[in-house]
Amino acid sequence: MGSLFSVPIYFVIFRETTEAAVIVSVLLSFLSQVITSDEHMRKRLARQVWAGTALGLLISIAVGAAFIVVWNKYGNNLWAGSEGIWVGVFSLVAVVMITVMGMAMLRTTQIQEKWKVKLSKAMDDENQKGLGNASRRYAMFLLPLITVLREGLEAIVFIGGVTFTTESKSIPLAVVVGLISGFIVGYILYRGGNRMNLHRFFTASTCLLLLLAAGLVARAVASFEAYVWGKLTNAQSDDGGTYDPRYNVWALSCCDPKNNDLGGWQLFNALFGWSNIGSIGSVVCYIAYWLIVIVALVYMKLKHRSVARANALRSVHESSNTTSGEKHSLELEDEKIAPVATPTPAAEATHVQGDAIGQDHPVDLKHI
Amino acid sequence: MFTTPIKTLALLGLASAAAHAAVVTYNWNITYVNTNPDGLMDRRVIGINGQFPPPAINVTLNDTLVINVVNQISEPTTLHAHGLFQTGNNQMDGPSMVTQCPIPPGANFTYTIPIKQYGTYWIHGHNKGHYVDGLRAPLIIHNPAETYHYDEEYTLAFSDWYHDEHAVLLDEYLSIFNPTGAEPVPKSALINQMLNTQFLFVPGKVYRLRIINMSALAMFHIHIDGHDMDIIEVDGVDVQRTTVKTFPISAAQRYSILVTAKNTTTNNFLIHGDMDPEMFDTVPDTLQMNITGTIIYDAASPLASEELIDWGEFDDAALLTPVVPMATTPADKQISLTASFQVMDDHINKATFNDITYVAPKVPTLYTAVSMGNLSSDPQVYGTYTHPLVLKHNSWVDIIINNNDAGNHPFHLHGHVFQVVGRGDGVYDGSTPYPYFNTTNPLRRDTVLVPSLTNVAIRFQANNPGVWFFHCHIEWHLQAGLATTIIEAPESMSGVLTVDQTHLEHCTDLGLPFSGNAAGNQGLDLTGQNIGPNLLPGKFTSKGIVALFFTVLSAVAGLATIIWYAQDDELVPSEEGKETK
Repeated sequence: MGSLFSVPIYFVIFRETTEAAVIVSVLLSFLSQVITSDEHMRKRLARQVWAGTALGLLISIAVGAAFIVVWNKYGNNLWAGSEGIWVGVFSLVAVVMITVMGMAMLRTTQIQEKWKVKLSKAMDDENQKGLGNASRRYAMFLLPLITVLREGLEAIVFIGGVTFTTESKSIPLAVVVGLISGFIVGYILYRGGNRMNLHRFFTASTCLLLLLAAGLVARAVASFEAYVWGKLTNAQSDDGGTYDPRYNVWALSCCDPKNNDLGGWQLFNALFGWSNIGSIGSVVCYIAYWLIVIVALVYMKLKHRSVARANALRSVHESSNTTSGEKHSLELEDEKIAPVATPTPAAEATHVQGDAIGQDHPVDLKHI
Repeated sequence: MFTTPIKTLALLGLASAAAHAAVVTYNWNITYVNTNPDGLMDRRVIGINGQFPPPAINVTLNDTLVINVVNQISEPTTLHAHGLFQTGNNQMDGPSMVTQCPIPPGANFTYTIPIKQYGTYWIHGHNKGHYVDGLRAPLIIHNPAETYHYDEEYTLAFSDWYHDEHAVLLDEYLSIFNPTGAEPVPKSALINQMLNTQFLFVPGKVYRLRIINMSALAMFHIHIDGHDMDIIEVDGVDVQRTTVKTFPISAAQRYSILVTAKNTTTNNFLIHGDMDPEMFDTVPDTLQMNITGTIIYDAASPLASEELIDWGEFDDAALLTPVVPMATTPADKQISLTASFQVMDDHINKATFNDITYVAPKVPTLYTAVSMGNLSSDPQVYGTYTHPLVLKHNSWVDIIINNNDAGNHPFHLHGHVFQVVGRGDGVYDGSTPYPYFNTTNPLRRDTVLVPSLTNVAIRFQANNPGVWFFHCHIEWHLQAGLATTIIEAPESMSGVLTVDQTHLEHCTDLGLPFSGNAAGNQGLDLTGQNIGPNLLPGKFTSKGIVALFFTVLSAVAGLATIIWYAQDDELVPSEEGKETK
């Protein structure tokens, strides 16, 4: 099974597609809620959303496919001798990106609110300046396009790291199934997205992603070590399965993920970084990765709590001085919060998160 | 440099044999020599009496060969006359710690060998790969009444050649940094341990060429431009004259061929020894894989153009038939030995027969056999890692050699020629009857090539009481442990074999015991025997379980933290700015 379907690629495509689908569904439902009178304009803007999303997906896939093809055709030969190093480096880059995005993702459980806020600000600006401004006119096109592109290129970097150790024939099916799964999730959200389910979904998907990332750390370290060992032993290209006995903690004659007959162990390797040969380096780095994640999460949460507490105190203090119709923004020491939504009859509650959603999701449209 | 035809010596031998069997004595001081045999690198080699290459030994059937050895190198060493039966003379066979303690530096040892056979043999060091450093030479036993007629004879001993000393290369070979067990690749090839050999041919005469392979590793494909070759001898056994265009010869094997000289002197011709690249882990571009000698009809004549030869398939057992027939008898005992290579628990790639890698005992196995009385028939006394196989006197024995390795291996049995009675694919598991050849006169020889992933059945009668080494003759593999010890007719040894007191003294001089079991103890107490590495367990050790436990624990803790983090317990301001959850 592992040889025709790459599990890590599936999950990444799934997640990226889901996020893109969420964006699209939010945009479309926003449009249907906001533009209730002008059916023609609603349809035009909706088409912009679809066009932008589709183009973003297309470009991402095209770039990704081209990258993979070129890479497998030329890159493998160019870097055949030092393949171990390239696998390792790309894997580590992917680890960093996945970890940062995964953790940031946890804070965006109200992703729909974030987007609604962005959009209402955009619509407000449009209303104020009129539809003459070209960039404003095509905001509904550019917004999904750029976001989807960003998600897509993220996925490509990750896949680039994975394809070193993945057979090319396992990629297409995983990509297609990931896309389909993402579309399905997006459609469900559009039809009747429930915030709680979304929250659970993103928590679970982050768990899985960080597991994948931890496994990637182990594989990256193993890859570096294999490179060094290969140089020490003057390994020929067809030699394999040997390891440095000085730094080895386990060497099983069974359970080899490189053995194509046993698909289960390949899956274990893809999901958890399992290998029948365990080295001190890969074990220590795997554990260290989780320790870093745990420390970062604990730190972020405690900090967020103290900030939110201070924020809540201040808002209680200040709310006695404002009317409900006024917009206000509260500056905090190191975080911005979104303005309260304009009083539009939104079906969903428009709670606003107390802080921005990760460093690269700034609230202001101009900074996308 | 011309090689003198030894017709004169043969005539002398004839004369002396007609009169009485001679005692032929060689005084060999084993010394270091500095020289450059292949013209590519000066290096230290092991020679005889300050000369390199060592001279060939020539004796005649029924002579007694006496070699007075003085060891003047800095390591203990021995000499083994390869292919000689040493009937009733096992203590002179030579393999270190099998039939003797090695000769200490500065000490003497006299090998006294009654010659009861004839043909093409060689003599070489049998301790620590000394023969690879040059301690090897042809040993030609002439028969006053040769089976075939020929006018002259020459000896061509092919060998691979290294530039580093064997001890240096052995350290690199048996190292944790060589987990695939790649053998060191030679740097060149030689004939008679030198370059530019020439052989004078007179038109119309018939020449016997004795071809020997004295290599550590290489297999040579032999062919002569412009001439066919008639094989007449295999490992000292005369065979029916068989014409071939080319034949392969593995390490330690010998063939004699008859070549009829052309009637004209218009050209000189090359005789080729082409090394087979399959034997080498890698073949560097700089390695000259071919060595040639020149057959000179007329010094002024030009060389004939070289011929390209397709090596083809060569099955010695199918092609060659002994002149003196010996019927084959069903075996009383069948031993199956499976050869393979793997990284052992000392993290070094070693060779095994049936999962046992050979390690030399503390007492030479022969000395154990002659000092243990009735216990000499109990394999336990010989230790575990000598892999002893005890045979009853005069029983017929089959050894099925399964080569479960990617490489081709030439296996050699001391003290015997054996019949090659069958070949098969893969490992013979005994579930079906063995597919023996249907022949009444199978080929006999003492070194048989077992190609990769095939098996060969050999058969012999245990009629030569003694301790006979059985091993792969690729020197690297012998050092890696691809050997067993055959304890043949221990119940009859005391009546047949005598060990010289001086031999026992050599053990004492080296700090080794000269009697008792493999550990030097009495009875069956093997504590203290030399222990070898075993197969890797391939399972979790306690170290591994602890490591796995902590990795799983860290992942579980991480996932729990993620879930905890994602719980929606932040304070969120409501539309009215009030606190809400």
